[in-house]
Amino acid sequence: MGSTAGKNWTEEDEKLLLETIDKWVENEVKPIAREYDQEDKYPHELVESMKDLGLFGATISPEYGGMGLPASVYAKVIIKVASVWMAPSGIFNSHLIMASAIERCGTDEQKTNWLPKMASGEFRGGIALTEPNAGTDLQAILTRADRNEQGYLLNGTKMWITNSMYGNCLLVLAKTDLNAKPAHKGMSAFLCQKNEGYEVSKKLKKLGYRSIDSCELTLVDKQVSSDALLGGEEGRGLQQVLGGLELGRINVAARGAGIAEGALKMAVDYAQERETFGQPISQHQAVQLKLAKMATRVEASKLLVGSAANKFDSGERCDMEAGMAKYFASEAGVFCSQEAMRIFGGYSYSTEYEIERFYRDAMLMCIGEGTNELQQLIIAKQLLERNKG
Amino acid sequence: MEIIVPIRQVPDVALNIRVNEGKVVEDGVSFVISSWDETAIEGALQMTEELGGEVTLLGIGPERVSEALRKGLAMGAHKAIHVLYEEGQTDSFGYAKIMAKVMEGRNYDLILTGKQAQDTDAGLTASMLAEFLDLPQVTNIIRFSDLAVDGMTLYRKGDHGTEVIGIKLPAVVTVNDSLNEPRLASMRGIMMAKKKPMETLSPSDLGMGAEELGLQGSMTEVLKFEKPESRKEGERFEGDETETVPMAIQKLVSEAKLAV
Repeated sequence: MGSTAGKNWTEEDEKLLLETIDKWVENEVKPIAREYDQEDKYPHELVESMKDLGLFGATISPEYGGMGLPASVYAKVIIKVASVWMAPSGIFNSHLIMASAIERCGTDEQKTNWLPKMASGEFRGGIALTEPNAGTDLQAILTRADRNEQGYLLNGTKMWITNSMYGNCLLVLAKTDLNAKPAHKGMSAFLCQKNEGYEVSKKLKKLGYRSIDSCELTLVDKQVSSDALLGGEEGRGLQQVLGGLELGRINVAARGAGIAEGALKMAVDYAQERETFGQPISQHQAVQLKLAKMATRVEASKLLVGSAANKFDSGERCDMEAGMAKYFASEAGVFCSQEAMRIFGGYSYSTEYEIERFYRDAMLMCIGEGTNELQQLIIAKQLLERNKG
Repeated sequence: MEIIVPIRQVPDVALNIRVNEGKVVEDGVSFVISSWDETAIEGALQMTEELGGEVTLLGIGPERVSEALRKGLAMGAHKAIHVLYEEGQTDSFGYAKIMAKVMEGRNYDLILTGKQAQDTDAGLTASMLAEFLDLPQVTNIIRFSDLAVDGMTLYRKGDHGTEVIGIKLPAVVTVNDSLNEPRLASMRGIMMAKKKPMETLSPSDLGMGAEELGLQGSMTEVLKFEKPESRKEGERFEGDETETVPMAIQKLVSEAKLAV
């Protein structure tokens, strides 16, 4: 989110934008979702339409060629996309997390060199934090950056890196000082171009979130220049990355809310079509109870996402609110997709229906961007801090 | 090439339209650009992208019409004219007359619009406008080619096939929705739309008095709206096709009197 985020967007603009997104998901995303998910095929054509729509610059400030969308509106965009097919939202979401880190922490030169190209979609990126043995505990990463005359030499392995195969740049977290205490003081983030700073070793097979390239990366003696160091200062990498997590969590919360809403819609439609015992199953109270619980969770998720996003837009600290939204909305996604599976009955298990994809995609929202167990700890810690006895 | 695209804002037909005491209930209804007019905007944009020039939108109606114009501007149109008009029921004749007044003294090569409005389905306004302006007209086009500032070839969907028609400009042309797939308003387009000029006029700015407006300026009056009767539920035949097909045929012969 840029400093000018939100100032240019009126309610009328928001309405127009959401109308555009509605049409886009209906006409371009929905028709290919099932096939591409089944075949784990990357939706290149969606990338082109995302460029035309301006999604790659959605939250980048207008001064760098972006749209300066506030988090509250951006979250609504994500909800709409995820309510049809969650996976494509990752193509621009991870990219924008990288852009946000550059805008918040980059040098003027880095902002000028990277952000306009990211806003247009010429550069498409993501963030490379996770390693085979370090996810939530980022201070345990082993990737190292050794300073030399030309800049830094990168060595290590990264896992589950979204956009690494079909994108062309990443923000890579590495250790510049292996002996620093605490460890985060020896961590730095690097702006890397594909093949120069990293190489993709393989695309990983996944339960859900298919089609999108989540890969393993290898960095063997990858030489990057000193200009690649984000912010131009060593030892700030972890803070730079963690500084974007509030927004990242709001985004994942929005995806969870979208999955929940999409599953609810499918369940409501199906329950009115499918008949048992001479009437639509929507007339059975057992189904009605499910629909009521699902609808309530969908509504509550959207309110929590909106509330955290509004707080983020106002510049207030919102780690507790973002954590609550992420925790609740992602669990709502799992709950609603499971309940929808039960309403669909036997057909839910068939890949001819799309509800099974929602079920497979939902669980990632509870794990990614900080597990829900971690979110609960963050919520409790903040709660106690804000209400000291 | 200077193109004026008259557009109409209509209730979103994807939603359930409610009728109360013979009138359409507007409360809670969302309004959109009539789909054929959206096709016309796209067509005009493609023409100006090829030949240069500008697309000017024209909308007539209450304040909310500015939203439809803004959307057209976000799609890429260059400017808009909004005739702020709150005079109540007006028929195609009344609207065509207002449009003709707007066109007076303006520079244009082409007036391009939808073949009909999505709400009234009358399909008369453009033809009446052509008459008022004494311009040639071609309706229901599905394609255009040989684009030039003084003329083009149009492909019209006629009763007996596609009619290929050469036309000299200026002219009035209406479009079928198979002409193109209208582009979406991009985020950049939405941001830029705010800076584009929107001229707001009142009927009196156009020199029109009360006798030319609303019902007084119309030749027909819609007395009331009636909701169409909902379709009766169909009959379902259960079983495999060796049983169900003969059952369905038997029913068609005995009840629908279908000759086999």
